Amino acid sequence: MKRENLAPGVFLNTLDAQKFNRCRITIRFQYPACRETATASAVLPLVLERCCADYPDMTLLSRRLAKLYGADLSVDNSTNGANRVLTVSVTGIKDEFALEGEDLTAEYADLVFGVAFRPYLVNGRFDEEALAIERGKLRQQLQAEVNDKRLYCVRQARRRFFGDSLAGVERDGYLEEVDGVTSQLLTQVYEEMLCRASIEVTAIGAKDETVRRLLLAALEGRKRDWQAPLPGLFMPRRQPDHQVETMDMVQAKLCLLFTAGRCTGAQEIAASRLAMALYGGSVTSRLFLNVREKQSLCYYCSSSYTSVTGCMMVDSGVEPANARKAEAAILKELAQLCDGPITDEEMEDCRRGLLSSLESVEDSLSGLEGWYFAEIARGGPVSTPAQARAALEQVTQEQVRQVLRQFTLSVSYLLTPEVNDHA
Amino acid sequence: MREINETLSRAAACEKTVLPSGLTVLVRPMPGYGSVHAEYATRFGSIDRDFVLDGKPVHLPAGVAHFLEHKMFESEDGDAFSKYAKTGANANAFTSFDQTCYVFTATRQVDESLDILLSMVGQPYFTEATIQKEQGIIGQEIRMYDDNPDWRMLFALCGCLYENHPIRSDIAGTVESIAEITPEMLYACTDAFYDPANMVLAVAGGVTTRQVLDACARAGLDKPRTPHKVQRIQKPEGPLPAKTRDQFRMSVSKPCIGVGYKEAPLGENRVRGEILCDLLGELVCGGMTPLYRRLYDEGLVNPGFGAEYLSVEGCCCILFTGESDEPEKVRTLLLEEIERIRREGVDEELFTLCKNQMYGEMLEALESPTGAAGALVSNYLRSSTLEEGVQLLAALTKQEVDAALQTMLLPEHSATVTILPQEAE
Repeated sequence: MKRENLAPGVFLNTLDAQKFNRCRITIRFQYPACRETATASAVLPLVLERCCADYPDMTLLSRRLAKLYGADLSVDNSTNGANRVLTVSVTGIKDEFALEGEDLTAEYADLVFGVAFRPYLVNGRFDEEALAIERGKLRQQLQAEVNDKRLYCVRQARRRFFGDSLAGVERDGYLEEVDGVTSQLLTQVYEEMLCRASIEVTAIGAKDETVRRLLLAALEGRKRDWQAPLPGLFMPRRQPDHQVETMDMVQAKLCLLFTAGRCTGAQEIAASRLAMALYGGSVTSRLFLNVREKQSLCYYCSSSYTSVTGCMMVDSGVEPANARKAEAAILKELAQLCDGPITDEEMEDCRRGLLSSLESVEDSLSGLEGWYFAEIARGGPVSTPAQARAALEQVTQEQVRQVLRQFTLSVSYLLTPEVNDHA
Repeated sequence: MREINETLSRAAACEKTVLPSGLTVLVRPMPGYGSVHAEYATRFGSIDRDFVLDGKPVHLPAGVAHFLEHKMFESEDGDAFSKYAKTGANANAFTSFDQTCYVFTATRQVDESLDILLSMVGQPYFTEATIQKEQGIIGQEIRMYDDNPDWRMLFALCGCLYENHPIRSDIAGTVESIAEITPEMLYACTDAFYDPANMVLAVAGGVTTRQVLDACARAGLDKPRTPHKVQRIQKPEGPLPAKTRDQFRMSVSKPCIGVGYKEAPLGENRVRGEILCDLLGELVCGGMTPLYRRLYDEGLVNPGFGAEYLSVEGCCCILFTGESDEPEKVRTLLLEEIERIRREGVDEELFTLCKNQMYGEMLEALESPTGAAGALVSNYLRSSTLEEGVQLLAALTKQEVDAALQTMLLPEHSATVTILPQEAE
């Protein structure tokens, strides 16, 4: 990957990708989360995705994308610890497949930067009518949270885990605040983001020069007062908080959140990857083989780790009557990995699976882009997938144990169809 | 244009071999890719419930194809996942209405992973004890889907549209139906449908045809076999829906609406028919249409409102589904819009844009080893090729779509399902 610093806090990352049929151009704005403006930040991608100054109506924009052979435009919000990331991305077929010989790269770049920097404004503010519609969509989305029981359980657990911390500021905002997002507030939040966010543009398989030229043109004359993203944010250790919520449903969901008591650095990433593969992140893990397969306690049961918050999550779907047993089994597997034997065979099975996944990263546009942004967002040196594989080859059993021994349970959240004496 | 056709042909190219065992092997080498994706599929899915095997009738309870998919991972010498763990491959499988497919993605030891794939499917092993254990795991999977409103909507619509067709039943069956499964039943299915002549192996990525054919030879698939005599039995199904309305309650935040249309089964021109169904859905309520815009702007549906089609042997339907606080209003607007398009014809510009969009989607599917192998399998099972799909799309005219609309999406062929939230009682 070639990385250029085009202006303070503005980087252009380019990757050659001859083998793909399509190319992808993405711009990411990373800025500190803020509780007061969280709901406006959640409305922003919805309004931006709807239209822009060049295509001031959502149907016009949809038709433009279809004309570009079904190019895919997405605008979304995500979290990175205590930071928010707004991403605008266009993926479309390469010039060589264009039926009319169009310069598609230029069209895609123009669209990405048009959506990001030239929104459709009326008298200098976001259009009231469009805003009202998108507020309604966000309201619906927030009300529908309960429809996906697995996700709802995870979110409820995270709410207990992060509390009032900046890392706990809701990505999708707060239902009771949706109506309060005015055109003035939204415009202010947007302008603030353009001014202060760190900007990362990634072009994969696109013409670098065209992207650079159009990006510089979009930035021209724009006032910037860039602030570096906030560092990692971890939650302190605490007594486990057991929560039970009942709901009309069939399968119960159990989410356990653990804290490492610190954020882990780039040098520990390889050991953390292998630790998760061994504990619950793969089909050769203890949770999959023992809790799901041997004990049949869960239909799914997996672990994942976020280094920027030092938080490990175990997410499972369980028989309501087995919830208590499942939790005990999940904790027992962790304890056994920390202090019991780990066989060379399981270490190598997990390592092999991870190496294979890391080798596949470069076979998809989204895989490549996601990889490099994660590396950049973590801070410190940017590793290639090959460097990550080399580091993974060196991880020892003791390093894996050290990673797992850090974790203590903070929150256990059970969503179940019946009253349970779990707590 | 000639150059573009050549570029397209390169993008869709694959090497095809039919082995003496009857197995069709499709390989798409993709230079520059580190990973390999393989799919080994049989034309056997949840709708294959009644057949005659060597003169003997067999009736299956719902969910057998899916159950068999789970059981194929076990053999006398251990389960396939632990074997794949030795190669680093990421393996999985899925069952649909009309196929069961076993897959892996690997970057190293591809030959060994191919050996595992071909042997796990080629050497079935079932006992009463292992079946009983699987019933528990699948029972949990079934319960998980019971909480999913989209899944419940799909089968409620199929239940309204079809009287006898097995598409009415959940792919995984029910806790009760899978309790009826016996080892004999599973062996009857492997005899009937896991014959190489009923299967296809598609491999794409950093691999050569020689590598794949060598693996087939190691699995004995290069030798002729005597297939069992199999005849699928289809129960008669009339043109009209079995019932036109259904409504139930579950834990959802707002009502869900589904309107389904029962169409004539597609028969020989299946690929063309499927492209037509896909286009019709886009032309009626896709993101560029006036209907979608109205529903969206008036807050009548969520952004997920849209159309999909189902097409399998003896069944074709187009389904419009989404969430809405005013399901009846959405239904009325949808039916009115279909009537308007039928009367006035489809918008010429919109038609061209939808075709453009589908062309881009087809190219997208060929970009990754996973997408390419999947596209090879799905086209093969429809007796078609990737190139043929692109050509059929290019050839389709607005006049043909207008003509099709005179016999499709008819109100008398529709059924409506509403899911209401529990607390609204």
